[in-house]
Amino acid sequence: MWFVDKSHPKVLVIRKFGEHFSLRLGIKALGVLLVLLIACILLIMLSLSIGSYQLSVQQVWQVVWGSLPSEHMNTVVWEFRFPRVLVAMLVGAMLALSGSALQSATGNSLADPSLVGISQGAGMAVVLLTVLLPQIVDVWRPWLAFLGALSVAAVIQGLSWSRQGKNSIRFVLMGIGVAAFINAITSALMTYGQIDQAMSALVWLSGSINGTDWMDVSLLATWFMVLLPFILVLSRSISTLKMGEVTAISLGVSLPQLRIGLVCLAVGLAAVATAVVGPLGFIGLIAPHIAQRITHSGTGLRLLITAVVGALIVALADLLGRILFEPIQIPAGLMTALIGVPMFIFLIRRSSTGRA
Amino acid sequence: MKNREGTLYPRVNLKRHGRVGRSAGIVVMSWLLASMFVWHLALGATSLPMAAVYDALFHFDSSNFNHLIVKSIRLPRALVAVLVGASLSVAGALMQGVTRNPLAEPGILGLMAGASFAVVCAMTIFPSVATEFLPWIAALGALVTAIGVWFIAQSVPGGATPLALTLTGAAITAFLGTLISVMYLLSQDTFEQLRVWLTGSLAGRRLDDVTIALPAILAMLAFAMSLSRNVTVLAMGDSMAKGIGANTAWLKGQVLMCVVILTACSVSLAGPLGFVGLVVPHTVRLFVGADYRWVVPYSALFGAIYLLGVDAIARVLIRPEEISTGIITALVGGPLFIYLVRKRAH
Repeated sequence: MWFVDKSHPKVLVIRKFGEHFSLRLGIKALGVLLVLLIACILLIMLSLSIGSYQLSVQQVWQVVWGSLPSEHMNTVVWEFRFPRVLVAMLVGAMLALSGSALQSATGNSLADPSLVGISQGAGMAVVLLTVLLPQIVDVWRPWLAFLGALSVAAVIQGLSWSRQGKNSIRFVLMGIGVAAFINAITSALMTYGQIDQAMSALVWLSGSINGTDWMDVSLLATWFMVLLPFILVLSRSISTLKMGEVTAISLGVSLPQLRIGLVCLAVGLAAVATAVVGPLGFIGLIAPHIAQRITHSGTGLRLLITAVVGALIVALADLLGRILFEPIQIPAGLMTALIGVPMFIFLIRRSSTGRA
Repeated sequence: MKNREGTLYPRVNLKRHGRVGRSAGIVVMSWLLASMFVWHLALGATSLPMAAVYDALFHFDSSNFNHLIVKSIRLPRALVAVLVGASLSVAGALMQGVTRNPLAEPGILGLMAGASFAVVCAMTIFPSVATEFLPWIAALGALVTAIGVWFIAQSVPGGATPLALTLTGAAITAFLGTLISVMYLLSQDTFEQLRVWLTGSLAGRRLDDVTIALPAILAMLAFAMSLSRNVTVLAMGDSMAKGIGANTAWLKGQVLMCVVILTACSVSLAGPLGFVGLVVPHTVRLFVGADYRWVVPYSALFGAIYLLGVDAIARVLIRPEEISTGIITALVGGPLFIYLVRKRAH
């Protein structure tokens, strides 16, 4: 059953299975989520119609619902633009959630998968493959990137662990150091491959969503669907962690388990996303912050809003990169970096990093 | 906080190494540098006997093939190694002193990315740009980045702590890295030209390139020596330095200029070579303590020796192919960085 709490008229309460399952959702936040989802649909329509081959919204509508105006339009929409915008959105959502999870786990509002070595690990693995076995790059790239991201994240975790327990500052610093180290090796490896292969690795490294297909969409969607419930389940523990470690422990949260769970989720999400489109920076930094700004709500709902915001940002960045300097395609990675760095500066100036 | 940072530097009893001992050390290091230099010249795809190297240097005969190899290929390379090693190490030492941050290094704090970005921009937009200007373009990029990073980190509540500086440097490096890849995508010619340079490589420099950067580097090393006394004061902390009567803002400005020019010259010679500025000063401090009057000259000498050695390894490890020198400096420097971060927490 679900009802609006009489004493708090702004909250929707859902109770199921007796009292075993209950949720309190802010109505305003639900409204925000709805608006964002509608914005997502509008953005998809826009992405499908704009491009070097212009389509009207009506034509797009017809193509999407199956009545074919022409074979040509069908190809453009279904083969090129639709998978591309879906990949952009899924990647955005996953990176945003990954950033959010990392920030909760480290207690540092500046943690982002691209700042702590996950993206770089994926990058090194792919460039290594490009240099050593150029024939099989396309097939194995996502898997290798995933493996690279995972192993680098594990290394950073292992190194920042000590007898005194985990130290979140050390985790971030260690990530930066390992990232710089791996970057040096990646760029050195770039000198060995064939120039055209190095060039294609470079395209991937700059975070481009160009040339994705339905295979990518299904891969991303599967992982997203698998990992999203986990992070939503953890959301309650996350909200107690926000009140401070001591409070969280006294409320019965097992901190080490929660942190390991969050970091694993963050790595998994970022690794899959990076494997498909390449290192796309700063989304994990921007999206959670925007989400926090536009609404005050419980952690679970905020995570959903964060994911949608991330999806919107990447899809928009990709659209802009596609149309701004036609026929040159600006990688989405550049657009997100352009928005991300001012955001980072703004965040670090307000953060308590200095005092930590 | 300040005390915790202060303890990062090894506490060395200054009396244990007297002035005589440390002066003697300088002489020994100079000898070591000279012999490494000659050894580096002899080493390579074809090893030459020392006598041939000596002849090539002092009785040059343009009809002798070996002499030509030494003079036109190996000599510039060895000189680049010496100059770049010395400048990066001194730049790192000065930065660590002034920012009171053991992790400070031209690469980590984003200066190298700034210099590289400036060079890549210049080469893309004006492909015919004269190589004389490259050090200055690089310097401009490094300067703007350094000032940017410093001001951002300074405005963080709590001041420019190691974490704030390192995070800002990492973000700026990531940003400029993206811009550099986009530049490459827009112009494949630039990529072909610069992809080796951008990994930090000492190969393919001509004697002319060296002579362009040489005066600036020597002047800045001398300047660093003259500043070193004040850097020791700055390393004690701002309030202490002011108490002693130092004009901290003016001093920091001077050090910044010195660091920027040293970094820019080495980037224009050898591309962004990471971690050299981290490894060398920390090693040197183990032996000579925290007095920058000794740290600076020892860093210069040891940096030159270190890079000559690293480059020699890069050249002979998989002869006749070469490994990029940047890979080896990263392989040595990465673990040290990790060690420093781990140590900081204790």
